[in-house]
Amino acid sequence: MSDLKWSYMDHWRADTPRGPMTQYGSRRLMDDFVKQISAVGFEGLDMFDFQVYGLTQMFGSISKYQEYLQDHGITKIVNLFRGIMYDPRVADPHVRETHDEIVESTRRMLGMWEDLQIENLIVMPASLYADTAPVTKDKIRAAAECWNRVGEMSAGFGVRTTGHHEFFCAIRTEEDILSFYEWTDPRYVSFFCDTAQHCIAGVDPVALYLRLHDRCSGFHFKDTRLVDTTQAFAHRPDAELMAPQTARWFYEMGTEGGLVDFPRLMRALKEHQFTGWITVEHDKANIGGDYAESTALSMWYAKRVLAEIYA
Amino acid sequence: MTGTIRLGYAISQWKPNFDDFTRREQHVRALKVIAACGFTGVELRAGTGRWDPLGRPASIAASYGTASAFAGLLRQIGIETVCSWYFDPGEPIGEELSPGRSVLDAGDHKAITESVKPFAEFLAAAGGSRLVVRPLPSAWQAGRLDADAIATAADGWNQVGAATAGLGVRVSLHADCLSAAADAKILNALLAATDPALAGLTLDTAELTLAGLDPVAVYQRYRDRVDHVHLKDTRHVDEAGERLRPHAEAAMLQAGGARGVGRWFYECGTPGGLVDFPALLRELRADRYPGWLVFESEQTPNPARSVMLNGWYARHVLRC
Repeated sequence: MSDLKWSYMDHWRADTPRGPMTQYGSRRLMDDFVKQISAVGFEGLDMFDFQVYGLTQMFGSISKYQEYLQDHGITKIVNLFRGIMYDPRVADPHVRETHDEIVESTRRMLGMWEDLQIENLIVMPASLYADTAPVTKDKIRAAAECWNRVGEMSAGFGVRTTGHHEFFCAIRTEEDILSFYEWTDPRYVSFFCDTAQHCIAGVDPVALYLRLHDRCSGFHFKDTRLVDTTQAFAHRPDAELMAPQTARWFYEMGTEGGLVDFPRLMRALKEHQFTGWITVEHDKANIGGDYAESTALSMWYAKRVLAEIYA
Repeated sequence: MTGTIRLGYAISQWKPNFDDFTRREQHVRALKVIAACGFTGVELRAGTGRWDPLGRPASIAASYGTASAFAGLLRQIGIETVCSWYFDPGEPIGEELSPGRSVLDAGDHKAITESVKPFAEFLAAAGGSRLVVRPLPSAWQAGRLDADAIATAADGWNQVGAATAGLGVRVSLHADCLSAAADAKILNALLAATDPALAGLTLDTAELTLAGLDPVAVYQRYRDRVDHVHLKDTRHVDEAGERLRPHAEAAMLQAGGARGVGRWFYECGTPGGLVDFPALLRELRADRYPGWLVFESEQTPNPARSVMLNGWYARHVLRC
């Protein structure tokens, strides 16, 4: 029995005669997608929470979609990524007046998924750095209060709320991340380690995991070839796709020139007896690459390199 | 079937043009994709020149040092062996200053036999066992084949088979859709004229289907001769006989013929696919077929996608 299972975080695009498309608009593309990730050994699937709408239209209910996944070799939907576009007028973790909306909209969303056994609700715990700066301790405390409330609510659904720190998120430095977890309740807020995001932000993801391993509820395993050396994290209106430094930040594990030390991270997971799901992600892989190939290469690396260390 | 059958993949799909797929890192990425999808063998395709570094044993040596170094790289990636190598004697070989040879010309037999020896030696060293050959030229080039012509070709393959047998490598005749061998009567005559101890048959599901032959029926008829299998699907049968017309390589296979078919070959299980793979697997299992199933997906717009779909099909539908 393996200690670790592999899940795939979906950002998939398929090449079609109409150009790149997601699988959410076509049952045939969905069939191909599920077969491809199953073929390389994934057993779980992560996705954005709002996909519930399209999937319900395509399959009748989200439960029926999971049954369909199981028929094709994927055992469950593991984690959801909370898709909120933060706005200080409506929903923004550092704006206390918007917390009720964040809690209630998240409650409604989790209600749509309650027939499944979702493990984590992954959230970006603060808005964009550029929209939050200056980042103050009070703003971090406000965010902590927000996610404590959301986490307590999500626990009622059997779902852990867990923080995922994009390199362009307001809570991005090691000091601020540690403060956030100091001020959040371990019962309600976990840490989700995205290897590439931390690396880009100049934070060693392995060291961060070692500091927060008792709070860590999962991972996005992806690589990067670049550290943000241009303050891209503050670039308006967007850092992820529009910063001058690069058009592509993220690569699959094992990429040439990758900065994440995955073998060291696996040794750390083994040392701290992490068990459960590890999620592979390589968003924006189609920028100069291809989702199918990146996905297969990631699992080659997981099975041939990382499994030698810990499986 | 686990334990007797093995799954391989034909790497030629990554090289649709002569100047594609030249760099080592491209080979490594392709091999990792193949390994990640559960395939443990790889089939190479004979080629020529500096832009085909996997085309010949000497080319592999030039890029990878030695055959054993290349085999070591494969094992490191998770691929056990080069299970097979495809060879068409009619293709030019620059290294041998050959514009192409014909098995229908007895005068070419000795040269063909000498030409394939390095491939057989490489396969033997790498743990491979099949030299997959094009048994006859394209139908439009071969013209009408009488019994003497078939006998000449058969004699040529018997000679080649005898030369490779000592290395533990069997010659296996592969009838592609354009070949004169993709015809029931000619295939039967050719197999009857070749020595079963020296020449087997590669069953290629889509090529036979496209040529109007039922691959399951072909297997049932020649089950004692089938020693290698290529699995791919097609949505089309060439009912108009375009494969038999002049320059069918370009006019039909590349340009799509009168129907403008964009792609003749697909992954196993493609919607609208014509090949009955479960029926073929039932036959193979009944015979405890001990060889390789080599999946192919030439003409794919995305090789990695095709390997993944074929890997899923092998595991979840064929239960291999």
